Amino acid sequence: MNRLQERAFLNRLEELRGPVPARPHDARAIAALAANPGCARRSVMDAAGIDKDRTARHVGFPAPFGQSQFAITRGNGFEALVKENGCAELLRVLRELLGLPIPQVGYRDVESVGSHLRHSHTRALIDHAAREEEGTAVFYDHPLFSLEIAGHTSYLEPDVVAFQVGGRFHIVEIKSFALVDGQAEPEKVAAAARQAAVYVLALRTLLADLGHDPERVSHDVVLICPENFANRPAGALVDVRKQLAVLTRQLTRMTRVEHLLSGLPEGLTFDLAPGEDGTPTRSAEELAEALRRVPARYAPDCLATCDMCMFCRDEARGCGSTELLGRQVRDQLGGVSRVSEALGLAEGTLEPAEGQEEIAELLRLANRLREESLR
Amino acid sequence: MSDSLDALERRIAELRAEVRRAVAARENALARSLRGDLRRAEQAWDAAVTAEAPPRPREAEVSLMPIREQVHQALALLGVPTSAKLVVAVNAAFFARELRGSQLTSLRRDEERSFRSDPYARPYYLCAALTDRLSPARGLLADSTWPTELRVLGPLSPRVHFLTSTMRIAEHLTRLAEPPAGAVRLLSRMAQNIPGAAAGFAPADPVIALRAAGAELEVHRAADAAQRSEVAARAARQLSDVERLFGVTAMNTLRGAC
Ligand code: SF4
Repeated sequence: MNRLQERAFLNRLEELRGPVPARPHDARAIAALAANPGCARRSVMDAAGIDKDRTARHVGFPAPFGQSQFAITRGNGFEALVKENGCAELLRVLRELLGLPIPQVGYRDVESVGSHLRHSHTRALIDHAAREEEGTAVFYDHPLFSLEIAGHTSYLEPDVVAFQVGGRFHIVEIKSFALVDGQAEPEKVAAAARQAAVYVLALRTLLADLGHDPERVSHDVVLICPENFANRPAGALVDVRKQLAVLTRQLTRMTRVEHLLSGLPEGLTFDLAPGEDGTPTRSAEELAEALRRVPARYAPDCLATCDMCMFCRDEARGCGSTELLGRQVRDQLGGVSRVSEALGLAEGTLEPAEGQEEIAELLRLANRLREESLR
Repeated sequence: MSDSLDALERRIAELRAEVRRAVAARENALARSLRGDLRRAEQAWDAAVTAEAPPRPREAEVSLMPIREQVHQALALLGVPTSAKLVVAVNAAFFARELRGSQLTSLRRDEERSFRSDPYARPYYLCAALTDRLSPARGLLADSTWPTELRVLGPLSPRVHFLTSTMRIAEHLTRLAEPPAGAVRLLSRMAQNIPGAAAGFAPADPVIALRAAGAELEVHRAADAAQRSEVAARAARQLSDVERLFGVTAMNTLRGAC
């Protein structure tokens, strides 16, 4: 992109967002990028820094997230337990898990400098640690990283960063779901891994920025969970290489949303400018109409990751999209995007289009088998 | 007799001031518990003034002990800067007293106010532990009579404090004929995070815990002491009296560092 193009591109993004400040991404939002990479609607909204949560609310489809107060309290309580007494519990787990040697017990609370200095203090401490020859392992509590996303700086707060023997940094992710016999619910682990990958990326970016080798941040993150429903913290290493790869790809794509933008109608905007009473002045129907003009790629896991999920699900339902059936089924259905189309092909009332012959045959076979078994 | 009446009157005046302060600061829970203390103090005064010096039951004496004294006692037992949570746990385990973490939140602020208005009027102040930037460490309480070296923190200090408090708790337990169950549980929980200090989930043996914590402490002691004396020297050079007890804000640290 040359200067002029870049200006035009940024202008277009601003037009899409309207006269409200860009919403910085938090780790959960960035992690979600890796969850449904193919969705243009979200790519565009994220690139423009549009507040998806407010958008979804305004069109009448608020996301069902917002954890229960109970879950939040339990989560905070568990985190406090892991960190109390200079991370004593975490230290025990890391000694078991990584063989952290006895002398390496340093602890620094980055937050003690005051919130406005946290980011620069994190930088200085990490730089210092990376330079140190026989580094003392140090737990950095409440560090603050930044990550540049499509021209906006997002600030991220990992739970803890541990500096480990052999010169490798590890991200620690503290979650309050239970680890039972060393296993946790795969979906929850996957979500934690995606989130931790964001921190790994942010720390790698920071190290590279300071002139150190980014690979000194381990791709193994330490997941800390309560063990067997008791309150005792236990740990597991989670390899986040895959999540990192998806994330990196997504972030590069985000800065390359031009091709998505060029396909959008002139003058399209998701403007949420508030009126005097604080609610957006634009009508909900108008906004919904604008949203529908950017193609989405709904999948059931959107329900766990994207603020727009209820809106997109409703839309997918309304048009009988096969996406509703989940990624696996959708992939098996090849290019058939509507439930009605699939049924038509199966029952033979619809002629397969070019390239659909194979899937049509399979659907017909399935239909025959089903009828026979029902007879 | 009139001695104890005088003491009670002082205490009542003090409590009234504390209640007013808590109400002004909207510390409702604190205000409620202070009012309770106040009511009890007034009842004790009534009883003392009418009856011919009835011996106060031990119960009442315990509940009459102000929060700051309870905290002070727990700190004296532990001997190192300590989080409110551990203070509450020790207080409950050894003295069977009920404190809540929220009751401690305004303590340090109140102490600082009192020190500023009338320095060194009290025999001790509950003050802050200082970070290597000489700012108050979040959530840690310390005793103003401790030397500065003991109240400043290096990166190794949180671990040293943890090991030291574990040892102090273990020591205290070895002295008791009937160790309270809560205190044994507290020790066991802490000992589990120290190599060789506890066997699985069984209640910790104070003697073993003491030895294991001491062994790990030896590993960190020298490096920690060196780091702390450096910070303490800086504190002595740069800080005023009140700052040495309560720390400086980030902005001031910044000025000092530049
Ligand atoms: S919920 Fe909608 S916008 Fe969000 S990722 Fe899914 S399809 Fe895209």
